Amino acid sequence: MASTNGNGLVGLVLVSHSASIAAGLAELVAQVAGPDVAIVTAGGGPDGTLGTDGGRVLEALREADSSAGAVVLVDLGSSLLSVRAALAELSDDEAARVVLADGPLVEGAIAAGVTASTGAPLADVAAAAEEARSVRKL
Amino acid sequence: MSESSELVRLPSTVALHARPAGAFVRTAAAFAATIQVQANGRQANAKSILEILGLGADGGSELRISASGDDAAAAVAELAQLVTQLA
Repeated sequence: MASTNGNGLVGLVLVSHSASIAAGLAELVAQVAGPDVAIVTAGGGPDGTLGTDGGRVLEALREADSSAGAVVLVDLGSSLLSVRAALAELSDDEAARVVLADGPLVEGAIAAGVTASTGAPLADVAAAAEEARSVRKL
Repeated sequence: MSESSELVRLPSTVALHARPAGAFVRTAAAFAATIQVQANGRQANAKSILEILGLGADGGSELRISASGDDAAAAVAELAQLVTQLA
């Protein structure tokens, strides 16, 4: 297990077609959720273009996972395919600690990050990301 | 089961956004009570960061913090103190 996240809080993986979106969102989430939650980005394609990089996603999943697990949020379309491909590469033990959340990237990451910062378990952090779908903006 | 409520004012230079909002929600999450915040004619679940951010509470805003549950009084007291000390 190549995890570098040893603090016992659930980590986040942010997957976007754009490295800038992923990095900017990570910065925002860190400001709201505090410095303790591991937020790992997999943004952009292998050559720095817009796109997704399955290898980078796999690395990010392992980097974000602690003993408490990791929640993954994606932006659009093929990000999801990249995550599914990466999940298939994980051992059963690793895969059991990773949840792909069906929520909006920005709001989901903020909600999941704050929930993770309270020490909440993996299922609660994933639920926070998914509940973000139903929070009205207006 | 008990109820508690307090009216507090945000420091004039601190909006309930970003880092202060996160601190508020983390503190609220430590209590079992149901906790609501009212500001600007809106109401939010104190344990939901998205709802708290959605209040749009600017510096100097009044917040009505209300809680219901066994630890309601402690929750309101701690959150009210946190709000006044936000920087």
